[in-house]
Amino acid sequence: MSATSQNVTPATAITAPPRQAVTLGSIVRSRRFAIGLSVVTLIALWQIIVPFLPTLLIPEPTKVAQFMWNEILGRTLAPQTIYQAFGVSLLRLFIGLGLAILIGVPIGLLIGLFKWADASLDDFVVVGLAMPSLVWALLAGMWWGLGNKPTIIVVILASVTFIILNVAEGVRDVPKTLKDMGSAYGVPSLRITRHVVFPSLAPFFFAALRYGLANGWKGLVLAEVYCGVDGAGWMIRYWYDAHRAQGVIGYAFFFAIFALVVEKLIFGKISAYVFRWRAKTAYRAAK
Amino acid sequence: MASIRVNHLRKEFLTADGLVVALQDATFEASGHTFVSVVGPSGCGKSTLLNVLCGIDTPTSGTSEIVEGDHRARVGYVFQDARLLPWRTVMANMMFVQKTDDQATRERCEHYLEMVGLSHATKAFPAQLSGGMQQRVGIARAFSIEPDVLLMDEPFSHLDAITGRGLREELHDMWEATKKTVLFVTHDVGEAVELSTRILLFAEGGRLQEELTVDLPFPREPTSDEVALAKVEIMRKFESLHEMVAVS
Repeated sequence: MSATSQNVTPATAITAPPRQAVTLGSIVRSRRFAIGLSVVTLIALWQIIVPFLPTLLIPEPTKVAQFMWNEILGRTLAPQTIYQAFGVSLLRLFIGLGLAILIGVPIGLLIGLFKWADASLDDFVVVGLAMPSLVWALLAGMWWGLGNKPTIIVVILASVTFIILNVAEGVRDVPKTLKDMGSAYGVPSLRITRHVVFPSLAPFFFAALRYGLANGWKGLVLAEVYCGVDGAGWMIRYWYDAHRAQGVIGYAFFFAIFALVVEKLIFGKISAYVFRWRAKTAYRAAK
Repeated sequence: MASIRVNHLRKEFLTADGLVVALQDATFEASGHTFVSVVGPSGCGKSTLLNVLCGIDTPTSGTSEIVEGDHRARVGYVFQDARLLPWRTVMANMMFVQKTDDQATRERCEHYLEMVGLSHATKAFPAQLSGGMQQRVGIARAFSIEPDVLLMDEPFSHLDAITGRGLREELHDMWEATKKTVLFVTHDVGEAVELSTRILLFAEGGRLQEELTVDLPFPREPTSDEVALAKVEIMRKFESLHEMVAVS
């Protein structure tokens, strides 16, 4: 078939593809719908199956929802409201994390900068990474009893290795190309450190903070189960002792909500500001 | 008047495969309003030469100096990859390499950004600019410290032919206007012929094989007969040198 016999549409007829119409079909096929549907199905199945189970200890989702709603309203049988419990836990978390940063950042810098530090401390760091927080919680309980001291110490132990590792990695990864550029132009070392080294460390410091926070929180909850007299972890223990599964499950959901809030609101916003130079849109040139 | 003086410069590297000689006994001089191209295949020591000249590397033996009169010259460096700080704006990048931080310095930076046609992009971050635009900022940055000497390491090799051609013209105009000494490394013989007053041909193993003068008058139209002929002539020399080295 020769080109001349074809009906060629002129170039001006090329337009943008038509916008997808929002039909029932498109909604049903979307990803969000699939996720939502599976969650709803799971909860529905859970609700239906419970009466057929041989135990009284598995609550229906409606019971869990009721429990969580009561907690939010402050109507609780426990000695602490959820706000008091989370408040106490968060305070411990931030004190512990703050101390872990003060300890972990200098060690991370040493390991990243000096080979002797790397060689001598590397095994300790690997062990620290692999050690389950349970061990820290039990030991802390034995040595420091109950209350704030052991719980804060467990937060430090659980999070410090992640901070050390990420800071060390960041120091190793400082872009030599940019440092060379600074040297070639005779830029003073202090300015190179401020404008090349520190900004290049930012994403690693962020990772350190994120993983430190996550592991610190998990360690804290565990520590509060074993050596707490109050706090979010202690509350889960309270409901466990009371044989109320909706309390344990409800608090687990509260933990999940807390993690999502911290991630989206705090890390998400800070990250968007600090890393705003990672532009996704091209610069609109005036010409 | 600025001068680049290189005397019996030798640079060896100890690698996993043994001793590698990146530069073998290089000697040459360049001063005043001149554009010297260093041409050679990959691995012939061109980038090493520049690194030693600006102090990033130290030579194994021999000397090199870049002087203005009797003191060290101010040197501007343009890299193959633009090497802008990704977390700072274009203007902040320009100011990063300056010795002073005042209104006069800012205006000087704006002036050179305008020379490369990017005065509207002062607040952009490098990630928002195209490769060609980033390289132009790199060139403006090098010129903005008003150096006595410019070292350029294959600055256009990562750009497409059209952008490269436009930037070559801009570079030539800036060189004519500011009358600097430029040492320009490239593997592209044609580019060297278009821009240079002198060409240093390097062979593999870091040996300076030949020095050529390019007598053509400026402006040199890349598509003109004279320039095309000169390119062919020098390409032939380049190839015969390459065979010579391969045989020896």
